[in-house]
This record gives sequence, structure tokens and C-alpha cells, in this order.
Amino acid sequence: MQLLGATSDAGRAEASGRVSNGLVAIYDFRPDGSGLVRDRTLHLEPVDLKVGDPTAVRWTDGALEFTAPTRIRSTDRLAKIANLVRVSGEITVEAWIDLSATDAGQSACILALSNGSDQVNFELRQRGRSYRARFRTSLTARGDGAQLAVAAGESETGATQVVFTRDRTGRSRIFLDGTLSQEGWIPGSASDWEKTTLTLGNGAKGRRPWLGSVHLLAVYGRDLLPAEVARNREAGSQLPPPEATRLSESAVLFETEVAPLLASRCLDCHDSSVRQGGLDLTKRASALEGGDRGNAIKPGDASSSLLWLMVQSGAMPQSRPPLSDPQKQVLRDWIDGGASWTREAIGAAARPRVGSGADSWVRRLTAGEYVETVRAALGVDLSDEARDALPAEVRADGFENTAYNLTVDLAHVEAYAKLAAAAATRAEVGEFVGQGGQLDERWIRAMGRRVLRGPLSEREVGPYRNLADQVGTQGGTVDEAARIVLEAMLQSPRFLYRIEQQRGDGTAWPADAFELASRLSYVVWGGPPDDELAAAAESGSLTAKAEVRRQVRRMLDDHRAVARSLEFIGQWLDVGRLANLQPDRHRFPAWHPGLAVDMRQETLSFFKDLAWHRKRPLHELLNAQFSYLTPRLARHYGLAPAGSGLRRYDLAGVPSRGGLLTQGTLLTVGGDDASMVTRGLFVLHDLLFGEVGSPPPGLDTSPVPASPGRSRRAIAAERVESAACGGCHSRFEPLAYGLEKFDGLGSYQDVDEHGNRLGEDGEVLFPGAAEPVTYDSIGQLMELLAASDRVRQTITRKLAQFAVGRPLAAADEPAIQRIHREAARAGATYRDLVTAIATSELVLEVQTEP
Amino acid sequence: MTTRRVSRRTVLHGAGGVAVGLPLLEEMLVAGTAAKPPARAFNVFFGLGIPAPLQTEGYEGVLEPLRPLADKMLVLRDVDQIRCDEAGINAHFDGSSGAFTAEPPLGEARSGGPSIDQVVRKTFYPEGQPADVVPTLVGGTYFRRSRVCRYVHSYNDDGTAAAAMQEKPRDLFDRVFGAIQLPDGQGNGRRQRMRRSVLDAVVGQYQHFTGPNSPLGARSRARLADHLDRIRELEQRAFEAQPKAAGQPQLPPRSRIAHGGYADPGGEGIDMELAELTSEWRLMADLYALAVEVDRVRFGSVTFLAAGERLRITGDYAYNGRKIFRFDDAGQRKASGAQACSHEWWHDFEPDERNPQLRAHAHMHLREIAYFLRRLDEIRDNNGKSALENSMVTVSTESGDGRHSDVRRELSGVFHAISSAGGRFKTGEIVDVGAEGLDVYNTMLESIGASGRLGPADREFRRIDAILA
Repeated sequence: MQLLGATSDAGRAEASGRVSNGLVAIYDFRPDGSGLVRDRTLHLEPVDLKVGDPTAVRWTDGALEFTAPTRIRSTDRLAKIANLVRVSGEITVEAWIDLSATDAGQSACILALSNGSDQVNFELRQRGRSYRARFRTSLTARGDGAQLAVAAGESETGATQVVFTRDRTGRSRIFLDGTLSQEGWIPGSASDWEKTTLTLGNGAKGRRPWLGSVHLLAVYGRDLLPAEVARNREAGSQLPPPEATRLSESAVLFETEVAPLLASRCLDCHDSSVRQGGLDLTKRASALEGGDRGNAIKPGDASSSLLWLMVQSGAMPQSRPPLSDPQKQVLRDWIDGGASWTREAIGAAARPRVGSGADSWVRRLTAGEYVETVRAALGVDLSDEARDALPAEVRADGFENTAYNLTVDLAHVEAYAKLAAAAATRAEVGEFVGQGGQLDERWIRAMGRRVLRGPLSEREVGPYRNLADQVGTQGGTVDEAARIVLEAMLQSPRFLYRIEQQRGDGTAWPADAFELASRLSYVVWGGPPDDELAAAAESGSLTAKAEVRRQVRRMLDDHRAVARSLEFIGQWLDVGRLANLQPDRHRFPAWHPGLAVDMRQETLSFFKDLAWHRKRPLHELLNAQFSYLTPRLARHYGLAPAGSGLRRYDLAGVPSRGGLLTQGTLLTVGGDDASMVTRGLFVLHDLLFGEVGSPPPGLDTSPVPASPGRSRRAIAAERVESAACGGCHSRFEPLAYGLEKFDGLGSYQDVDEHGNRLGEDGEVLFPGAAEPVTYDSIGQLMELLAASDRVRQTITRKLAQFAVGRPLAAADEPAIQRIHREAARAGATYRDLVTAIATSELVLEVQTEP
Repeated sequence: MTTRRVSRRTVLHGAGGVAVGLPLLEEMLVAGTAAKPPARAFNVFFGLGIPAPLQTEGYEGVLEPLRPLADKMLVLRDVDQIRCDEAGINAHFDGSSGAFTAEPPLGEARSGGPSIDQVVRKTFYPEGQPADVVPTLVGGTYFRRSRVCRYVHSYNDDGTAAAAMQEKPRDLFDRVFGAIQLPDGQGNGRRQRMRRSVLDAVVGQYQHFTGPNSPLGARSRARLADHLDRIRELEQRAFEAQPKAAGQPQLPPRSRIAHGGYADPGGEGIDMELAELTSEWRLMADLYALAVEVDRVRFGSVTFLAAGERLRITGDYAYNGRKIFRFDDAGQRKASGAQACSHEWWHDFEPDERNPQLRAHAHMHLREIAYFLRRLDEIRDNNGKSALENSMVTVSTESGDGRHSDVRRELSGVFHAISSAGGRFKTGEIVDVGAEGLDVYNTMLESIGASGRLGPADREFRRIDAILA
């Protein structure tokens, strides 16, 4: 059981209303008889405060009043504050205070964070009725030379919320009662912050006693957004009692442990379609209802729950390895805790999947993103050189931009060096160098902001300035210096990777404005932010979700968004595979490699028309009655060519065609033999987001070829009807029945090469459904698929995976469902989906690690 | 390190008469003066596996090509890799990923943990290897590529590939021996100095992002640390390696067989003449061994055919002058496409039958693996032993039964063979270990003094004494 800031689960913060992500320490001054001020964080080691002179303070209900000068200091030095601030460069200090005695001539220290008595990292002071905050950085003097930040205005009577924030660029703010009161800049880094002592009611040296009452004190390792400050203001100075902030542990267990466990270990036999023993564990109602043997789950009482008893004894999972002891304990705890059920249904999405996990991998620019980023930043087209120099990206878990697989070899580094030199030679650097052509650092900062997608820190500017100076001392020109600096920037991690603040407290933090700008631009364009988006980041306006949405919509009007969408559909459907087709020339003597090119063009043009010209919902990819064909492909499909070149064909009068599944791109996935297993599994996995188990023991899985009197469909039907195979094959092979008339290369025929008559009727058992739905024709199958929410969900998932560059994890499921609902409400077009993804926590937040 | 100089003839041994040039051999061998051989570990993988029943025939059966090396190797039977099973996926992928890691995969390109060669590397070179040593070399001759784990067999702690695959002999040659010439790198002293300064500035940036104040998480820092290592390698190649002398040898010839996506047309397989296949593989094996000999490589993996490889092989197959078989997969299977590939012989395996085609293919696979092992055995280290004897060389494959009919059977009895690793392990025997691969691997790691272990931390380790010398 955890309190504020305990996990990334948003529900925990909801319990108190306060922001919890990034919370390092929080004190609510609730007396517990110990005389200590308790640190209420639990996810990081709590560090309590000790009152120097107990007679100088008075405990009241939820506040501590300083009635005489004293100090309250941390019982131990807080490494946790310094550790976070040092790497993030960010901080938020929030204090709720009453001023009981103010002396206009005396500056009193409300709280201080110090390395020792002589090195103050942060101070919040009061003078009269104003506040001042000081924050020490690498650019401020050592010792007490902390940089003065801002002054604040008048406070009102009663407990006042005073909040100081600083982001990593140096932007510093003071908020009073949720409202921004002052803003300024404190440049430099906090790289030499060390273990910090927290002192309350006085300065670190004990010379600035303060009198007043403290109701709440919170320190975050990041800068809270204005909306978050306002949210904390709204939540008030009183933390709810511990029991009120507790989330249902059972609910947490369900989301993080139980749903994946049930999905991976139970649903093969107990989903809605199989229901062995009459038990369906996909939904709460059916799970509670139980099966033939009675109630499976009795909330609050595992010992009376059949599910637990069967698992405990090892009787379940039947004929499979038993659950481990920790897994059993989780199940028991969940039932005893009330068996909360937070989803409508569980299924494949909950299953821990190969490649799953929201691991924080820094994302290297893919080869395509690299080219686009250089072009956008410098106006230099390196596409030809990059194609030759950069290693091809390798597809992993369905896409080529899977972050964990974006590794680096010597060939990359060599290519980056050469491409950087080429770009620097061809770039127009005059705009950066500016007037007079002086070797100062202004143009370095300007260049860095453009090329490195955000402002440079002092640490970063220095080496570039030294580089420019070296050119100067060796007789080089300013122009040459600029090109050398540019060459270095183009090889730096800030350029080649999307650097984000990944270290924190293990919770998800809002992306920094420039991080967010890059996230948005790479999601929508596959390239860097343009000037307008960068300006929005600079101004701080990207902190508002409405502005994020506006920017995304604006970017979606740009041609780069179209190119990015084609990259998505191409990778999802692996259209690159077509270039490698080598069908058996004896079986397919009419095959021409140009047909593979035509098929690729067909799919991409079809998508572009539907998504961008017609702006139709993406599920219509399955049943849209048009396509784009060359005369050669039209003939291959059995259609009369309508003219030269790639043309749009209306397929309303062509019952056999219409939709992605009737295009050569997907019809070739089954290989020369048009394997029903492969086609069916493609539909199940890649369109319906379903799964099946492994073949049972002792089964010969060798494919059986068609023969006279025995069509592929007949062979598949034998498998479906077989007791050994039908349990799984019935889930996917009938999905391919409707495609039987298409041969391995997508030609349409009524009779196969053995003279067997072919059909196109079948049935679809949608994953999670109890009963299959029949269809009589290819057209009906396409309509069923287009109408299926499983297909629509799959499209949402595929696009979300491509956007975030990693396989989705079970923990992403709530966000995916919100995205799906929001996009569906808006119209389910590509634009709607991208907008919903870009404004979701998948993009707005960065998962940190402690 | 090595004392014997490499002769051109040695290198050309497997190249089918193709002239392969070698750069700077004398210079490379100068460094080899230490008496103690370096710590080395290599994973050697071959596709499709050897059904467990055939392994029981010993060197009289398909293991025959390993007989000449019998006193240098320990053959392990009855090694169980069931824990590597990934539900719903046949063993080509997860069995392959489990080879040398003993863990189920975490992604199509991500293993469930480090491979044994990398654990040894981290133990003996925690601060990195000498600048002119390629940290990890991954090479191979393979064609099927739908999942990276089918063909890459060296993995980092986080499960990512430890190095990029070099699938053409020329690529591998470049990776090990290639010099790098940056623009303006030669003949312009000032520009060259500036280019070095540029890299210095770049290195500084990477050092920050891999250092204690980096904003990046652990995995990301490791990724950038890897990038930083590659930059240092670039610097070494570009600025510190000596320029080529006149008359230096040439690159290997361009590959004549299919590579890239064209080598794997949607899993349908490709036609392949045996001589073309083995010629390219042996050139790859020669180059890899050469890299070991001149101490440019100490860790990595080499792959002969990917897991679930699909080839329609033709050609006469002979061993020691004795004709073994005539490969004609398509003709013998009377099929085309995927159905005509040698892969299908594994699907057809019947323990009670002769399985002549499978036997011939498996025999050929081991002949080629033995070829590489012999190359290592020809390398003499200063202690008088061969590189094969001094290194931890582990041979493995994807399955013990290629029928995909039962995970318990398919991932049990996975063929392994190991070298003595400097006398630590038995040789000259065939041992039925009856143990999990995880325990076998961890026994090897423990014996060699590696600090890391594979598998769950809370799992009880079972030492396999049967493999220890």
C-alpha cells in the first residue's frame, strides 16, 4: 500500500487531487506524537525533520507554528533531492504558509536546501510581504552566491501557497496561490548539488529566523507546469488521511499483475469462445458467475473461490506448468482484496507480450528521420548519400523504428561523420553567423537551437565555442568555424538521438516543452519541429493541451504528415517485402517483377486517397470500393485496363475486390501456396489482435498441399473439424476461407490448378466473442471486418506503436482505450487517430526510472 | 596471443580459389607478444538442429564431421531449453534466441538476457578491450531473416544485439580490417586536426550523456556508451592505424549469393547450389578465424544458416572423398516454394525411419561447422595450444526436434558442443548431461571465472560436474 507519489498509476494521485509524479518529499505537519515532522513519501526513502527547540513551536491541526526562533532540520541529508535535481536541472518547491510576524527590514528564511552550512542550493525567503527564491547553479558563485531569482507580490491573509519552479533551461517562476506572479531566468546547471540538508524556519547558518506557520511543504524533482500548480492549489494544504489516499490495492493488482496473469495462463481455455467447464474469465460478470462447478471468484474470500482453490492445488492450469508461488500469492491477494476488475474485458492486450514493456530506450533517428531532420534544419538533402552510407534499419516487432533495436555499429558512426561533413559543407551558415561575422557564442546558441531542437546549456556551449576558437587561432574564417561547429553538432547525441529526461522517480513525468515539441514533430512528420512549434515550446504555450492539439492539427495539414503516414502503412503491412517476391516460375510463368512494384503502389495510393483525400475512417481500408492499378496489375486482377499508368479504379461493380485484403500486398503473405494458415493468422494477429496457442503435442504440422479433389479449403476444414486442431484453427483458418479464390499472387480464380472448385463463404470468430458470424462472399467478409471494433482497435494499436516506437505493454492499455474512444468520437480518420495519440499520455509524458 | 604468422595460403584455404587479400598482417601480429592468450569466447550457431535420436548415433552418424576434432571438443546431449519457449511461436525463433542465453526472447530482435560470450567479455574486459580489437564480431552466412533472433547470437545484458550482423564476407572484412578515411583526412594537416577536434567535442557530449549526471536511464546510457565506443573505434581507424603500404592486399570478392531481403522472399525460400553456399560460408569462416588469429576479435558469434532456414539446395555432397548424397530438395520433394525447401525434411522426421535427406543436410551442416572449428584449431597461441583449445567456443542450434509438434521434445535434446576453454572442460567425450541449458551455461561461466550468471537470480543453480575437466 502506498501513498502520494507512490506509483505511476494515475489513480493514486487522483485520491488526493495533488500532483504526485516527480514528488521527492512531502510534509503535512500532522502530529503523530513523535515530535518529528514526517516525510509522507514512501516510494523514495522518507527523511523526517527534527525540531531544534520543541518549545519554540506549536503544533496545531495540520500546521506547525514557529512561535520563537528555531530551526527544523532533516534528520539525515537528503540525497534524493540532490540526485534528482542534479540530473534533471529542475525543481519545484511548494510551501503553504501563514506569516504571523513580518519585519519589513529583515529577510527571513522560510526554508533552505544546503550542501552544508556554507553552500546554499536553494532558499525561499520572506521580507515583509514578499518572497524571494534563490537557486544555485554552475554559473552562480560558490558558497552563498546563489542567484537571486525573482521577487513576488503581496500575499493574502490565511495559508498561502508559494511555489517556486525552475526548468532545465533556467526558466524560473514563482506562483502565489496557483497564479504565476513572477518569471525570470537562472542559467546554469545543478550538476554539483550534493546531499542536501533541508532546514525549515531559518537559514542554513541559523542567522535568518522566520516566524509563521507551515501547513504543507513539498519538493519535486521537476518543474511543475502551471496547470499542475493550480491543481495543487485546488487540492489545498491538507493531505487527506492516509486511508483516503490509498487506492484499492486489489485494483492495482488487477491492472498490473492479475489481468496479464489471467490472459497468459487461463484464457486459452477460458475465454468467451472456448469456455471450458463453462467458465469465461474474460469479463467480471462471467468470471464471478463461474462455470459448471460453481462460483469461481468470491470477492474478499480466496479460500471460498474455486479459481484460487484450483490454482493453489495445481489442478489448474490443466496439463500445463503450475503458477509460480509469487503468481499464486498475487491471485490470492487480489481476491482477498475484493477482486477489483478495472476493464470491461481482458484479452490479448493484457497478455505480457514478446517485445512488450514501456522500457525507456533513447531513440536514435532512423535513416529516414535523419535525412528529414537534416533537410528541415539545414535545407540540405542528403538522401542519396545517406542511402549509400547508413545501414538499413532492421524490422523488429512489426516496425523499423522499434527503439530497442536502433543499435549503432561502426558503419553508422562512420556514416554520421561523413554525412555531417557533407551537410556542413553544403549548408548555408550565414543566418547563424549574423552581423559582423564575429566569433561569439550567439550564433552557436542560434545554430544549436535549430539543429539540436532546443536551447543549449552552458555545458554544451563551451566545447562548441572552443572548437570555433581553434579554427580562429589556426587562421580559419568565421564561415569555416561555423561549419566545423555544425559538423560537431550533427554528430552529437542531441542531434542523432531524441534525448529526454528519463531519470526521475519511476513515475511518468510531463515531457519538457522541447521534448514534447520533438515528440510531436516526429510522430506527425518523422522530422524535427518547425519554427512555429519550436516557438510554442519556447513560449511555454505547449503546456496547454489545447495548444498541443492545435499544433498537431496544423502539422497534419503539412505534406510531411502524408509522407509519414505512408511510412506507417508501409511498415505495418511490410510492403517492402514485395520487392523480394520470387514466386516459382513454373507455377507462375506470367509473373513479372514489375507487378510487385505495382502492388506496392496500389496499397500506398489507396491509403493516401482514403486517409488524406477522402478523409475516411481508417477501418474503411478493409472495405473501400476503389483502388489504384496499373494496366499490368489490372490484368493480373482480371480487370480490363482503364488507361495507362497508375489510375484509380472504381470497384463497386467488382464483387471480388475492394479493401486491403483483396490487394496483392496482403494476398501474397500466404506464399505460393496461398496458405490458409498464414493468411488466417495474419488476419487474426494483424487485423483482429488475437492470439492462439502452440500446436498440441505429437501433431505433424507439415503443410498439406492441395490435390485433385482436395482443395486448400477442404484441407483447412479437416483441420478445423479435427478434435486435435480445431480448437485453435477454428479461430483463424475460417478467416481465410473468403480469400480462397485468390491464388498465392492475388489472381482471382473459380477453380484451382487441380480443378477443384473454390469458394468464398466462411465464418469469423472475433476474438472475445462467444459465437462465430457467417459470411457468404468476399464482400461480406470485408464488411464484417470493417465493422469490427477489433479491427479498429488493431489500427489504433498499430499506429500508436509506430508513434511511440516501441511495442505496447499491458500497462498502456488504459491509454490505448482512451485514444481509441477519442478518435472514434472524432471520426476515426488518420488525422483523428494521430491527434488522439499525440495528445495522450503516451506522448505527453515520459516514463522515468529511479 | 599468436606467434605464428598467417600465410596467405591459410587464408585462401576456404575461399574456393578466390584471391583474398589481407592487410597489414605483419603489423597486426607484432602485438601478439604476451605469453598468456587473451580471454575469448565465441558462439557458433547452425540452423534447423539435429534431432535428438540422431545424436545418439555419435560419430557414426551425422556427427561424423566432428570426429577429427573429437579430442578438442565435448559433445553435450540431452540439453533442455524448454524454458526458452515463447507461447504460440514455434522453436525456430525462441529456440534460436535461447541458444547461448537459455532464456525466452523479449522481442523479435531482443533475447531474454545476455549471451555467454558477452558475460565473459564483461568479466574480463569491464573497461573495454584494446582499441584495435573489435569489441564483438557477429557474422554469418544465412538467408532467413524475418526475426533478428533467428541469426544473431551475441546479446548484451539488456537483450539487444551485441553487434550488427556482418552477412557478407566483404562486410566482415571491412568491419575488422577496414581503414576509414574521413573527408580531408589525408594530405591536409589542418583539416585533419580540425576533424579530430570535432570528434573530441563529440566525444565530450557522449561522455556527458553516459556519465553520472546524464538525464538518461540506464538502458539509454548503455546505448550511448556503445555509440561512444564506436566513435573511439572510428578515431582509431581514421587517425591511428597506419596507412596502407604499397601492394597491400585487396578486399574479398563481392558476394555472389543472395543477401538482404532478396534472400528471404516472404519465407518461401530460395534456390542454392551447395558449392555457392559453402564457398561463401568458408570465406566468412576464414575471415572470422583470421580476425581471431591477428587478435582483432575476442568475442562474438558466427552463424551458419539461420533458424528455420529455407533453402532449396542442389549439388553433390561428399565428405572425405565419399559421396554422401545428391541434394535436390525441390526435385525430391516434388514441390515448389517453401514446400520444396530442405527445412521440410525436419518436419518430416520420423525417429523410426532412415530420414536420408535430413541426415545428409545435418551432416553437411556439421561439416561446415567443423570447418570453422578447424580454422580456430589451426591458430597457435603462445602457450602452445590452439585458439580453439584456449577459447570458450560453444556450438549450438535451435532445436532437438524440428517437427514443431511438442515444445517439450522440440526444445529438449538441443545439440551442444564446447571446447575445453583452456582445459576447464572435458574433451574427447560425448556426454548425456540431462540438464537445463541454463545450468550448463552457468557451469561454464562459473568455471571460467565469469562474474555474471544467466537466468533468474532466485533460481537454484545446479552445477553440471559432468562437463568439468
